[in-house]
Amino acid sequence: MSPLEPRLTRHWGDPSVIGVDGYEAVDGYAGLRQALGMADADIVEVVKASGLRGRGGAGFPTGMKWGFVPRETGKPTYVVVNYDESEPGTCNNRELVEREPHRLLEGSAIAALAIGCETVFIYIRGEYLWQGTVLQRAIDEAYAKGYLGADVMGSGTRIDVVLHRGAGAYICGEETALLNSLEGLRGQPRLRPPFPAVEGLYASPTVINNVETLMNVPDIVTKGADWFRELGTEKSPGSKMVTVSGKVERPGNYEIELGTPFRVVLEELAGGVLGGRSIKAWTPGGSSTPMLTAEHLDVALDYESVAAAGSMLGTGAIMVMDETDCVVDCATRMVKFYAHESCGKCTPCREGSWWATRVLGRLEEGHGRPEDIPLMSEMGTNILFRAFCALADGTASVINSSLKHFMDEYEAHVRLGACPLKVEHVGVAS
Amino acid sequence: MALFEGRAGDEARRIVERYPAAHRRSAVMPLLYLAQSIEGMVTRDALREIGEMLGITTAEVEAVATFYTMYRLRPTGTHLVNVCTNLACKLRGADAVYEAAHREAGVSHGQEMSDDGLFTVHEEECLGVCDLAPAVQVNFANHDGVTPERMRELIGRLRGGDVPAPARGPAMPSFAAASRVLAGLDPEPEPALEEVPPA
Amino acid sequence: MVTLTIDGTEVTVPKGTLVIRAAELLGIEIPRFCDHPYLEPAGACRQCYVAIEGQPKLGTSCTMTVAPGMVVRTQNSDDTVRQAQVANLEFLLLNHPLDCPICDRGGECPLQDQALAYGPGESRFREAKRVFEKPIPLSPLVNLDRERCVLCARCTRFCDQISGDRFIELFARGAGERVSIAAGEDFASPFSGNTIQICPVGALTATPYRFAARPFDLSSGDSVCQHCASGCNVRVDVRRGEVVRVLARENPETNDAWICDKGRFAFRWTDASDRVTTPLIRDRGLEPASFGEVLSFIAERCVGARVAFLAGGRLMDEDYYALSKLARTVMRTNDLDHRRDEPGLLAETAAASRPMAITSRELERARVILVAGLDAEQELPIVHLRLRKAAARGARIVVLHPRRTRLHDVAEHVLCRPGQQATLLAEAREGRGPLAALTAALRDAGDAAVVLAGPRLAEGAADAALLLATATGARFALAPRRANDRGALRAGVHPELLPGGRRFDVADERAEVEAVWGPIMVEGPGRSTMRILEACAARQVDVLFLIGVDPLRDLPDAALARRALDNVPVKVVQSLELGSLEPFADAFLPGASYLEKEGHLTDWEGRGQRIAPMRGAPGISRPDWEIFAGLAAAMGSDLGFDTLDELHEEMGRLLAPRNGSEVPAAGIVDVAPRPTVGGDGVVLFTYPLLVDEGRLSVGADELKAALEDPAFVEVAPATAERHGLVDGGIALVRTASGSAELPVRVTEHIVDGTAFVPFNQPGLAANTLLSGWFTEAASLESVTLAPADSDDVAEPEGVPA
Repeated sequence: MSPLEPRLTRHWGDPSVIGVDGYEAVDGYAGLRQALGMADADIVEVVKASGLRGRGGAGFPTGMKWGFVPRETGKPTYVVVNYDESEPGTCNNRELVEREPHRLLEGSAIAALAIGCETVFIYIRGEYLWQGTVLQRAIDEAYAKGYLGADVMGSGTRIDVVLHRGAGAYICGEETALLNSLEGLRGQPRLRPPFPAVEGLYASPTVINNVETLMNVPDIVTKGADWFRELGTEKSPGSKMVTVSGKVERPGNYEIELGTPFRVVLEELAGGVLGGRSIKAWTPGGSSTPMLTAEHLDVALDYESVAAAGSMLGTGAIMVMDETDCVVDCATRMVKFYAHESCGKCTPCREGSWWATRVLGRLEEGHGRPEDIPLMSEMGTNILFRAFCALADGTASVINSSLKHFMDEYEAHVRLGACPLKVEHVGVAS
Repeated sequence: MALFEGRAGDEARRIVERYPAAHRRSAVMPLLYLAQSIEGMVTRDALREIGEMLGITTAEVEAVATFYTMYRLRPTGTHLVNVCTNLACKLRGADAVYEAAHREAGVSHGQEMSDDGLFTVHEEECLGVCDLAPAVQVNFANHDGVTPERMRELIGRLRGGDVPAPARGPAMPSFAAASRVLAGLDPEPEPALEEVPPA
Repeated sequence: MVTLTIDGTEVTVPKGTLVIRAAELLGIEIPRFCDHPYLEPAGACRQCYVAIEGQPKLGTSCTMTVAPGMVVRTQNSDDTVRQAQVANLEFLLLNHPLDCPICDRGGECPLQDQALAYGPGESRFREAKRVFEKPIPLSPLVNLDRERCVLCARCTRFCDQISGDRFIELFARGAGERVSIAAGEDFASPFSGNTIQICPVGALTATPYRFAARPFDLSSGDSVCQHCASGCNVRVDVRRGEVVRVLARENPETNDAWICDKGRFAFRWTDASDRVTTPLIRDRGLEPASFGEVLSFIAERCVGARVAFLAGGRLMDEDYYALSKLARTVMRTNDLDHRRDEPGLLAETAAASRPMAITSRELERARVILVAGLDAEQELPIVHLRLRKAAARGARIVVLHPRRTRLHDVAEHVLCRPGQQATLLAEAREGRGPLAALTAALRDAGDAAVVLAGPRLAEGAADAALLLATATGARFALAPRRANDRGALRAGVHPELLPGGRRFDVADERAEVEAVWGPIMVEGPGRSTMRILEACAARQVDVLFLIGVDPLRDLPDAALARRALDNVPVKVVQSLELGSLEPFADAFLPGASYLEKEGHLTDWEGRGQRIAPMRGAPGISRPDWEIFAGLAAAMGSDLGFDTLDELHEEMGRLLAPRNGSEVPAAGIVDVAPRPTVGGDGVVLFTYPLLVDEGRLSVGADELKAALEDPAFVEVAPATAERHGLVDGGIALVRTASGSAELPVRVTEHIVDGTAFVPFNQPGLAANTLLSGWFTEAASLESVTLAPADSDDVAEPEGVPA
């Protein structure tokens, strides 16, 4: 089941929209033109009414976030675009910008108008070297055509866009860590309160939005909140990008209606499990979300339903493991990610993820002891919700959900003194 | 002799001017890329000069530089080969590709760069190419769906002085050249393979 | 006020109080590492968890402010909280090395204490711990043992938030995160030692204390630092009778929780090997004698003689009071003085008569501050920190000084020539000149405006600052340098001022003193320090007392000091040591050090702080006031007090705050340095840096290795160019008094046409270049550094210091 009508991906087959002329030809920047004629508060209202929720993982209502920005502080306001996309299993932001960079600029400019912002910063992860080049080219084109700059479309309003490249740190996808990184500090998260809406970039009111979130905004302005709500559920309206990867026939970025059952995404969009095998485990929203199993194939992919199933929709990064994949091995690798990316500020994340990689590593290599399993279980409890930010909750999610659903695999590692799947299958599964 | 002199000095100043005047510290990240593009790595002197330019201490600059994986503070090969081994790529065989990279490039685990100064190999976290796994970057240019055989081919061609075209976007002829683009500057007009002096 | 409940007990606290602080008020200790009451909350260590009713997750009590009706449960009343704390300590101890037997922190370690009280009893850790190279010297003073670090970041946060010396930082991330200095640089901050004290583990240790003692070896006493006039409260640790360590004692009124590195690490002078603890009389050499003998010896020579007294800045209030009375009532002279730069009578009488015109806390809350003639970081380091606090609160600070200070990142600097300060301040009063905008700001800030006058405002210039303050309604404080310069001033160790700032030549004021002392049989006001030396050199003085001061080293004219000593028939030295005065002393009186006596010191605010002895006085050294009383008795007189209590009672009568009568404001003139600068000469100016060759730094080798500059001459680029000097080259600095070859530092942060030479660094005692003041006309010449075996070397003239 494809979306009734593709929205974010409707021009993906047309490479001409990458350039400004091609984008104009498909009604590009019409939303910005319309927004220039609206009052700031009305822009906020239409986005609020649409029910658009942040697509970067947290799912916070976007219009509400914009509404939190105080306007009479005497300080400039800022829009910061979070293009740090680093959640394992997610790459839809990457492709969205590769294929239609101007839509991101248009959405960001409308956000700027909504909060009276004159400078938009786009924080792009360092590894997206080429995507940054594509984006910078689009920015230059937009300036040349007057869609950005001192006098946007002759309105007398200024909107500047500065592209800032990251340098390899997943934690910089966390809003306040991103702000610190952008300010030239170490990318460690900040205490809240104060919240970024009030004291964000350079201690000024700031809105931070995900790329996919902002790319929904031009359509909401031109087509209206009701149109946006034609897809999706009451609480999760609209369409969402999902990335399907791992053991599937057709890995890729897909746009779905929120509320689509996972089974449909797996079998119809991604072509089913690779080689006709059976699914063992899958992450709904990347490695930071508790993994689900074959029992959850009918879970609807919206924020509420996935939460009810014991996980989170997050970024919609669906990684699929099959019966030949060892969950302990996968969990070890995922926890290693968190240990690498931990900023080091707080004890449970820094020490807990480091310890977890060591114990899990021993378990996977067959040097696990019986007491290691209750130890991992306690470690998961001692990390979850105990850290400064949610990065550690990702670690805990991996540990807790893998133990919950695959305790038998852990026990087998200890009992056999080896990984049962590596013992049975000689050579590396590919 | 100062690093940011002449053209590099002008470029550094332009980078600083991207940010509000009262907050030029934001420029530390692109300035680190600029330094890296000139010297093939971030040197002690570069850290100090960047600090002087921004009115912060060398320690503050080094604190930022050491936080990220894409700034190299130790001698680096001409080419940086990044192999993602996170879950989505691992599920599609990335571990074998990673081993192949070490083998073909002649870099043992824990070694900063190959003896011939050509290659540094990084095991990477998710590079955002999960749909085209296993993902590899050579100087941050994307090579998708790489197999151990393809890795052998890539390394071989690089060793031969040829920069293979990536799957998407233009090739980056060296780690230093890529750093220049990451600093937000146009690539050098005629990119050539640059030699990094041995440590 | 907010009322909340913690562990079932109600407590009411001011709005904005952190939960962890509120708990402390109830005597409930919540374990913590990163929290520190003087640092911004971090929420990093996660040890201080509490449960808040209505919140699903545990919260860190160090980052939460109290809310009305909040119900908090600590580990004392909630098992989940207790378990979370155990878990967190388990994480912290995973990689912590079993260093306790060799770690300086053992026995006074928050990690040990909290692990015992709140942590797991056994380790479940079966892996290999992270190891690092150790120790890593961050500076000659501070060592880092990385393995012990719990990454609370108190040290880096102190450097960022308090001292502004961001030389240590956190590098890398995750489990590799580590405290570090930049490669090739040092932790060269004069506040570095504070990080050692606040480190909750033994990661940061002090070189002078490494492996030196265990807490149970130490006997400790509270005291006040003897170095500068910041008034820092300290704790002195003594082992087997010797000082082995000095720590900061918390006092939010004076020093918060900090002391500078000099206060912390220069503590060996009281135990110096050349300390003399018996009286001496010169026969052929200096021979030990009894107190009776030496006092008689001195008394005989003082009867009917012309006597003068020079005192240093580090005696107690009581000592100064006794001296002041001794000089006037027994020796019948006003020729007594302490180490003053003669800031001006207006300023001095104000400071002496009305202490606490402004306090440290009020300084912190000021909105507009003029810091005139003071290099706070070097001269009053903890006041420097207080000014930074004010700046962090948004205060506008302007520094008027001939060279830039380390407040430059938070304060506007107006660089001016030395000697020009009085003129600029006078112009400011009229709303003119570079300080005009500041004048308006001072006026607008009303009671929250401060003018702070430091030692550079010498020769009456401080009066100009006081007049500016009066004209704008700002509060004024005169900032002295040494620990008890203010006590000396208040007691009247001054040629023109009696105790309490009463002027000798104002009959009513003198009468107030005579009401307590009896008649003062002295003709007129006396001579100041340098005039006393001149009089000695001209054979107009018969007996010169040098009490805690060495004029050859401490006063701004080495040649004059020498001539003075050569021409005074009798020289009495009263101090802890003889030092360079040994060939000159005719009698020596051994003083007790601050560790061995009871008394008060008065800090820059005018705050009196009491100290008590923590060990017996060695040998037969005695408190200075007792010596003065004994001398009076030997002269057949009586100072009127036999006990300290009696002295206090009398002193209290004269030193209560008072309003003096109007002091005529003399016309403020632009004070030109003497002699007048002409041609292509420069104005040389000098003041002592924080870490130098002063007496109290004797034996502080690690401190000097870390922070002591060699002698140098600092000039502006235009000055350098005119005289052919280059940065890093050598200059010949010549004055009428002497010359010296010094390495050159060129900086744009000093006024053109001036040259700064620090007063007493290794390589130059600058007082050999001076003729009575801290400014001097000088000439500069480049000295060509020739290759080793070249023949055409231009031999420079003059003798290097």
